[in-house]
Amino acid sequence: MVAMKVAGLVFSPIIAVLTGLLLTGASRKMVARVEWRYGPPLLQPFIDMVKLFFQRAPSHGEVFDYGLVISLSGSIVLLLFLPIGHLCPLGGGGGLLVIIYLMLIPPLGIATSGGEGANPYISIGVSRKLMLGLGYEVTLILVLLSVMSEYNTISILKVVQAQSESGWSLFSWPLVIPGIAYLLIMPAILGVKPFDVASAPQEISSGSHAEYGGKYLAFVTVGGGLSEFIGVALFVNLFLGGPSLPGAFTLPAGALGVFLGVILFLVKVAFVFSLNVMVSALFPRLRVEGAVKYLWGWPALIGLIGTIVVWAL
Amino acid sequence: MLEAVLIVAFGGALLTYLVGRWSAKGRDYFALALWVVILGMTSYLHPGKPRVSTFYPGFLGNDLQLRVTSLSWLFAIIVASISVLVIIYSFRYIKGHEKSNLYYLLLLLVNGGMLGVTLSGDFLSFYVFWEIASWSTFLLISFNQGRALAAGLRYVVMSVIGSGAMLFGMLSLYSSFGTLDLADLSEHLAGAGGEYVLFIFLLFLVSFGIKNAIIPFHTWLPPAHSEAPAPFSAVLSGVLIKMGTYGMLLIFYLVAGAKIFLGLGTGIWSFHSILSGLAAVTIVLPSFVAILQNDAKRMLAWSTVGQAGYIVLGISFGTRLAVAGGIFHFLNHALFKSLLFMSIGAVERKTSTRDLNDLGGLVKRTPVLFIATLVGVAGLIGVPLTNGFFSKWMIYKTLILDGNPLLAFAALIGTWGTILYSYKLIHNVFFGQLPEKYRKVTRSSFSTYAPMVILAVAIIFFGIFPGFVLGEVSHVTTTLGFPPLDVELWGLSSDTGMVNTLNLLAAFVIVAAVVWFVFKSGAESPKVAQDDSYTAGAPVPEGKFTYTADFYGPLERVISPYLKDRIDIFYGGLIDFTEFLSDTVRRMYTGYVGTYVAYILALLAVVLLVQLGWSPW
Repeated sequence: MVAMKVAGLVFSPIIAVLTGLLLTGASRKMVARVEWRYGPPLLQPFIDMVKLFFQRAPSHGEVFDYGLVISLSGSIVLLLFLPIGHLCPLGGGGGLLVIIYLMLIPPLGIATSGGEGANPYISIGVSRKLMLGLGYEVTLILVLLSVMSEYNTISILKVVQAQSESGWSLFSWPLVIPGIAYLLIMPAILGVKPFDVASAPQEISSGSHAEYGGKYLAFVTVGGGLSEFIGVALFVNLFLGGPSLPGAFTLPAGALGVFLGVILFLVKVAFVFSLNVMVSALFPRLRVEGAVKYLWGWPALIGLIGTIVVWAL
Repeated sequence: MLEAVLIVAFGGALLTYLVGRWSAKGRDYFALALWVVILGMTSYLHPGKPRVSTFYPGFLGNDLQLRVTSLSWLFAIIVASISVLVIIYSFRYIKGHEKSNLYYLLLLLVNGGMLGVTLSGDFLSFYVFWEIASWSTFLLISFNQGRALAAGLRYVVMSVIGSGAMLFGMLSLYSSFGTLDLADLSEHLAGAGGEYVLFIFLLFLVSFGIKNAIIPFHTWLPPAHSEAPAPFSAVLSGVLIKMGTYGMLLIFYLVAGAKIFLGLGTGIWSFHSILSGLAAVTIVLPSFVAILQNDAKRMLAWSTVGQAGYIVLGISFGTRLAVAGGIFHFLNHALFKSLLFMSIGAVERKTSTRDLNDLGGLVKRTPVLFIATLVGVAGLIGVPLTNGFFSKWMIYKTLILDGNPLLAFAALIGTWGTILYSYKLIHNVFFGQLPEKYRKVTRSSFSTYAPMVILAVAIIFFGIFPGFVLGEVSHVTTTLGFPPLDVELWGLSSDTGMVNTLNLLAAFVIVAAVVWFVFKSGAESPKVAQDDSYTAGAPVPEGKFTYTADFYGPLERVISPYLKDRIDIFYGGLIDFTEFLSDTVRRMYTGYVGTYVAYILALLAVVLLVQLGWSPW
């Protein structure tokens, strides 16, 4: 048990960072193929990170530096509360409510850091990110509340546990309703097209990343990869049974089972992520108003129906 | 001892005024010393069991009493602590003002009044102290004249309505049971019928709801908070409106008792469910209205309405965790909202504006102020490891597990509104370009930022060690008739579902240290000014290279049509209607004797006709 905890503490962040970067590379490749291009190598993000890390880049002051560090630390702390397969070193304390709150720290850290950058593009990017956040958070909260009410727990570990016994939530009544709502808002959570209003490279020079270069850009890219990983991993944990196999199949016990569980979890993450990449490859960017109106429309309505159905049953 | 506290508070207030006529500096330190003594005395009052003392026997057959219970002690200690900090803050803020003596007198009277309210053992003393606090508040809100007068008037009208309702409730209690003593009333009320209890609750709810600014009684608060002098805004928001919270806890839980309060009606139509619903509305709407504000203090004022909603939601939901969370949130709110009002006050003093479209870049000039404000905002949002996180966590948790996801939704989405306006506040004041006219802004004086630093440290301290306060809160909820909480220094233990700040803290410190180390080991980064960088390839335009006005423009255009303060409009309409009615009545008095004779004749004719058995319908 202690070995599992230590393993989780060390490996959770590493797995997540690597997966996050790999997914970034894969998404470029996939979009390229949709557009009939060859695309950059799969490992290009890793190469970029190493290169950027040793490049000199200007800083705008202490807040500029600390904000970025806090942002990335927030992402990594969040990973310790989020089960990755069977690895979940701090899953017991506070559960989903803590996760909801920890999800705030990365964007707020970036927002604080960017603030001292004093570039209007950063301000626009942050303001758009927060507006978009308010947009999808309405549905996300409803979804999380449905799940927590249905399983009558606020612990994400127990939600995962329950699914390994009674089947995946996405394919069970009534949690299929919030599951659909989550799928509808997932591109917004990940910040991919058509919801990439906050980064919008051609329009506002990548928004909050405008002043970052060198290691700053490396850090913020790693952080971005982590946020995408977290957004998808949360869905996999809540609706696709975490590491569990569908139906009657079970994983073997012991270290092999843990390993297979993590692999299976990552496969699910990759699958769900690629769905979002497909969406992003097809749609052009929405305006902020359009995004907010979409998010407060059908997804929120479906989320609300889900919550009420769960509550009533 | 109980009387001594109040004698020191009120006698000291008058003495402070007299000292002030002789020396301004002496007055400042005298007021501070006075309230440090009161803080010491109050903390000494800490009750093992309730303590009662009669200070005026036999007024209308009632003994006027002072009483200290766990509940009243908790409120009294917060009142005293915030008062001390506000007095320190006032040193510089009010220095040189021509009416500074009056300011101190009123401030100390308000604080003394609040202390009296919390320590009252019967409703008559409660009412007297309540009125002292209310009227001094009115004078302080209007202290700056001009627009402040209108704000004060608005406050006083609503306050009088509230006091009237309370007085009516008190008289009814007195005529029914012949006593106003809180302990006696609680015995009598246990045997009273449901309708009567509801009637009493409604009357007191009007009074305390106005003070606590629950929708639809909130309309006085935004103008009052934004127009009052900054240190007094901190008192208003931090503790004064919480007298409503105290009153609610008093009447619902201490006098009536949880069983009566929660048993009034069934299902979603029960009294406490409807109140919870109102509280949920009070969380959501003001948090979104705050996003639209461009006046920093007005934004904070709306934020206060929203946060008070959390407190009322906790109290009215009425489970053990909810009530404890509500009380804890009251305390946390007192800390971070006082801090924020002080910091905006300091900004306003330095730049003579609080218009969020006009400020910016102050992080470069006033770093201490920035960090204090950032901590305050983090507490307000409830970022983990600040105090606001824990109290909100308790409220969310019980709302979810005790079966009310829609209320939980309101509470959580209110937090997102909070994030948006908080960031707007921080960004527009401290971030972005430093305008030319503020290049010379100097740091605030020691007495200005010392209270803010103390509050910021407290916010983080209680965020990491919530157990310090929760132990006390648990005492209070026990006296209100709930089983005690399993409090640990780091949080709550397993029976309520564990949350542990130690894990969070350790994880955060270690991870941040590692990340920081990796960050430092990268290539070095020279420090550059705003205009000496990439700026997306564009040349930096002189003067206006910043984005503050219309910060959430697209969102505002979506939501603002839904956020008109219809209740305020309704009250405005009510005023117009009353004026119209009065005007019509006035027209009857023509001042011409013939008209009056005609009225009399007409009346006589009607009376005669009725007398003769004529029935027109």
